[in-house]
Amino acid sequence: MRRTFRLTTYGYLFPGLFFMGIFTFIPVFMSAYLSLFKWNINNPEPHFTWFSNYIEVFKAPLFWLVLRNNLIYAFTTIPLSMSLALFLAILINQKMGWIRSLYRGSLFYPTMIPMVAAAMLWVWIFNPGLGIFNYYLGFLGFPKIEWLYDMRYALMGIIIMSIWKNFGYYMLIFLAGLQGIPSHYYEAAAIEGATGWKQFRYITFPMLAPATLFVFIVAIISSFQVFDQVFVMTQGGPGDRTNVLVFYIYQHAFRFWDLGMGSTLTTLFILGLLVAIWLVFRVIGRRVYYEV
Amino acid sequence: MKFNRHLRNKSGLHLILMVVSLITVAPYFWILSTSLKYRTEVFTPTPKWIPWPINIQNYLEVFQMAPFHLYLINTIIVVTGILAVQLVTITLAAYVFSRKNFWGKEFFFFLFLIQMMIPIHATFLPNFLTLKRFDLLNTRVAMMLPFFASGYGTFLLRQAFRQIPRALEDAAVIDGCGGLRFLWHVLVPLAKPTLIAFSIISIVSHWNDYLWPLIVTDTPDVRTLTIGLGMFVQQESGADWTLLMAATAFVTAPMLIFFLVFQKKFVQSFMLSGMKG
Amino acid sequence: MRKVILILTVFFFIAGLISASETWAQKEKGKPKLLRLTFYYPVGVAGPLARVIGEMTDKFNKENEGRVEVVPVYSGDYDPTMQKVQTAIMAGNPPDIFMVEISELPTLLAMNAVLPLDDYIKKVEKGYWEDFFAPFRENAVIGGKIYGVPFQRSTPVLYWNKEAFKATGLDPEKPPKTWDELKDYATKLTVKDKQWGVTISGGWNDWLFEAFVRQNGSFLISPDGLKANFDSKEAIEALDFWVELKHRLKVGPPHSTWGSTPPDFVGGRTAMLYHSTGILTFLKRSAKFDFGVTFMPQKKTFGAAVGGANLMIAKKIPKERQEAAWKYIEWMSNVKNTAEWSVASGYVAVRNSAYDDPVMKEHMSKNPEYLVARDQLKFANGKMMAKNFQKVREILKRQLDDSAAGNIVPAEAMKIAQKEIQAVIK
Repeated sequence: MRRTFRLTTYGYLFPGLFFMGIFTFIPVFMSAYLSLFKWNINNPEPHFTWFSNYIEVFKAPLFWLVLRNNLIYAFTTIPLSMSLALFLAILINQKMGWIRSLYRGSLFYPTMIPMVAAAMLWVWIFNPGLGIFNYYLGFLGFPKIEWLYDMRYALMGIIIMSIWKNFGYYMLIFLAGLQGIPSHYYEAAAIEGATGWKQFRYITFPMLAPATLFVFIVAIISSFQVFDQVFVMTQGGPGDRTNVLVFYIYQHAFRFWDLGMGSTLTTLFILGLLVAIWLVFRVIGRRVYYEV
Repeated sequence: MKFNRHLRNKSGLHLILMVVSLITVAPYFWILSTSLKYRTEVFTPTPKWIPWPINIQNYLEVFQMAPFHLYLINTIIVVTGILAVQLVTITLAAYVFSRKNFWGKEFFFFLFLIQMMIPIHATFLPNFLTLKRFDLLNTRVAMMLPFFASGYGTFLLRQAFRQIPRALEDAAVIDGCGGLRFLWHVLVPLAKPTLIAFSIISIVSHWNDYLWPLIVTDTPDVRTLTIGLGMFVQQESGADWTLLMAATAFVTAPMLIFFLVFQKKFVQSFMLSGMKG
Repeated sequence: MRKVILILTVFFFIAGLISASETWAQKEKGKPKLLRLTFYYPVGVAGPLARVIGEMTDKFNKENEGRVEVVPVYSGDYDPTMQKVQTAIMAGNPPDIFMVEISELPTLLAMNAVLPLDDYIKKVEKGYWEDFFAPFRENAVIGGKIYGVPFQRSTPVLYWNKEAFKATGLDPEKPPKTWDELKDYATKLTVKDKQWGVTISGGWNDWLFEAFVRQNGSFLISPDGLKANFDSKEAIEALDFWVELKHRLKVGPPHSTWGSTPPDFVGGRTAMLYHSTGILTFLKRSAKFDFGVTFMPQKKTFGAAVGGANLMIAKKIPKERQEAAWKYIEWMSNVKNTAEWSVASGYVAVRNSAYDDPVMKEHMSKNPEYLVARDQLKFANGKMMAKNFQKVREILKRQLDDSAAGNIVPAEAMKIAQKEIQAVIK
C-alpha cells in the first residue's frame, strides 16, 4: 500500500499522541534537560553544570548498592516466577474438569489485589514473632528469621512477596500459549515415540516462545519499576538493603527535593530500561516466531 | 467414579496443585481471619485461623474512622473515566496503525511502544506541575489524565484489528462504509474480546494505582480506596492489625468479588493480554 | 468531511471533560468572602487522631462562621506530610497552615516558606510563649526568630513488661535506671528465638540514637544546624553500646520498623521497648499484661531529644490569610485545647499550665503513666535540625543499621556519617 499524507489519518492518532506527549514525552525530555542542572535546596535557582550530576551519581556508593539490589531483585524474581508460572501452567493445562477453575482462581487472585494492600498483608505475615510465615517455616525446620527487619533477608522478603503477587499473571499467559498449541502436534510426536521431556523440549517450549518473550519483557519492566511494596514494607531499609531504583529516584525527587539529581536518575533509568529491552529483543526476539 | 479414577491417576498432579493453591490462598484467609478478631486475640503464639468469638465491630470502626464508602465511589469514577477515554484513544490509533500506511508510521508506532515502557514514576514531577498550571490538583480528573493514552492498549488492539481480513474492508468500502463507520460497524464489534480484555486489565491496574493519586490528592472527598488504605495504615502506624486487616479486606473485596463471579471472563482477558499474534 | 467532524467531536468531548472538571474544581475552591484555609497535618502515632483534629477544627470553624474556615487535610505520616508540604510549596500553592516534623524547619527556611511569628506572639497574652516547655520551644526558633508553635509533641520513653520481669526473677517495679542495668536486665530477659531483652525501635532510630548521645553528654548537630558532630567520642560510645546490645550480646533485634515494634511488645516478643510516648494509648488498649513506662536509662545523665511537629504558617500567602491562620494556631494552642489534645492523643501537653486544666488533672490522676514523658522533659533538649534533614536522616540511619549488623565498626561508621552529613548541611 502506498504511503499517504492525509490529515485525517493523523487526526485519528492525535488524541493518543496528545496525551502521550503532554504526560509522557515532554516530561521525559524535561528530565533529560534538567539533568544538566544543579537544582536543590542548597541551590534554589537551577544552574547549568553540564554532566556533573551524572558524575556525582556514578561516584555515589549508594547508587551502586541500589543498582545491585535492583539487579538481585530482577535476577531472582524473573526466573523464579517465570519457571514457577510455566510449571504450574503445564500442570493446570492437563484435563481435570471443574477443579481446574478452582486452582486457577486461587493461583491467580493475587494479581487482583492492590499492591499496597498486598504489601500491608505481608508485613503482617512476615512479622518475626507473630506472623504465620515464620511459624510454618519453623515446622519445616527453618530457623527463625527476622524477615523485614534483617539486612540480610529484607530484600528476600520483598522478593517472596512479589513472586506471590505476580506469578499468577504469567501463568495465565503461558496457559494461553499452551492452549494455542494444536493437539495434533503431540499426537504426531506420540506416534514417533516422543514422550514427556522430549515433547516439552521439541514442541511445547518452542511453541511457547512468543508467550515466553512477552512474559519476559513484562517481567523485566515490572522488576525495574518495583516501588509500592518497598514503599509500604521497608521504606528502603534497613541500611538501604531494599532500596531500589524507583524508590531511589523518589527519594531524590520528593524527599530530598534534589530535582537535578532526581532528573539525572530518571534519565539514566529510562535509558537503562530501554537498552535492556532492546537487548532482549536482539538476543531472544529474533529467534522467536512472533508476528508483529 | 470416573473422577475418582482420574484422581488416582493424577494424584501427584493434584497434590502439587493443592499445596501451591493452599499456599497462595492462605494469606487472604489470614486477612479475613485477623479482621474478625478482637484486638487482644491477635497476639497469640500459635496462629488462630478461625476467629472466635467473631468481632464484626472492626469493620464498623474502620468505617467510622475513614469514609471508605466515599473512597469506593471515587475509585469507580476514576477507573471508569480513565477507561472511557482510553477506549476512544486506543481504538482510533489502533485503527490507523493497522489499516493505513502513512508517513511517519514507524516513528509514531515506536512512540506508542516506548510509552508502554516508561514508568509513571519517572514523570511525576513534571506532570504534577502541569496539573498545577491548569488548576486541576486535588480533582478526580487529575488522577485520570496521565493514563488517557495507552501504548499497551493501542498495541493490543492493533493486533486484533490486523487479524480481521482485509477483504472485509474492501467489501465495506464498496458498500460505502469507509473510515470511522467501518471502524465502528465492522472492526470494533469483531475486536470485542480484545476490547473487553483491555477494559478488564485497565480497570484492575488503575484500581490499584497508588503513588500518583497520593501525590495529586489532598482531601478525602476525591481520594481513592488505595490512598484511603495507605492513609489509614499510617494513621495506625502499623499497629492495630485487626483494623488494618479489616480495611485491607474491604479495599480488596470489590475486585475479588468481581473476579469470583466473572472468573472465566477475567481469565480469558488476562490470557489475551499476552498479545499472542 | 464527516470523519473530520467525528474526530472534532471526540476532541470537544475530551476538552469539555477537562474544562468541566476545571470549573468544578474552581467552584469548589472559591466561595467569595469566606477565607478558606488549608491545614496539612500528620499523625505520627497510632489512633484515630485525624478525627480528633477534625472535631477540634469544627469547633473553631463554628466560632468563626462566615469569616474563616479551616480545612484540615490529613496527609499521612511525618515523611509524607513533609513531602506534600514541599511539593505544594514548589508548585507555588502552599497550604496556609502546616504541621511538619520539627527537624525540617531549616529546610523550609531555605525554601523561604515559613512566616516568622514574633509579631503575632507579642500581641497574645503575656507569658504565652514562655508557658510552652523549654525543650519544645527550641525547635521553633532559628536566628532569634520564632517560626512555629509546639503542638503535637513527644519524647521517647522506655516501656517494660512487668510480667516478663517477674518471670525472669527481676523486680517488676524496678526498671533499669542506667545503661549498665539496661544491658544486664536485657541479657537476663532474652530467651533465644522467643523474647528479646530490649528493642530499640527502628524507623526513627536516628531520633532514639540522638537520645543515647544526649545521655552520654553530647549532641549530634550544633543548635544553629550548621556543624555536624557525629564523630565525637560520646557518639561513638553510644553507637558502640547499641552494637553491644544488638550485635555482640544479641539481646535486641539489630533492625526493626517503627510500626511493627509496638505489636512486638504487645505480643511478648520483647521485654523492653524504646519508642515514642505516643504509642502509650495503643499499648494500654492492646496489651493483656501489666507494663510500665519510665525514663530512658542514663549514662552520664538522663537525656532525650524531643520530637513531634509544630504549627507553622506559609510565608507566600496574602496577609489576611496569614492573620486568619494565626487566629487558628492561637486557638489550637490555648490551654484548654492543648489539654484536650493531649488527653485524646497521648501526646505530651505542650504548655505547663495545661497540667492545671481540670480535665487534664483528672486524666492524669487516673493514668499517671502519661506523666512520665512530661517529667522526662527536665532532662530533654531540642532535637537536632539542619537543612536537608531528610537526607541527614537517611545517611545516619544507614550507618546505624550497618553498625548494628556488624558490617562496620562504630568509629568508622560515625566518621562516614560526619563527612557525608557535614557536606549536606553546609
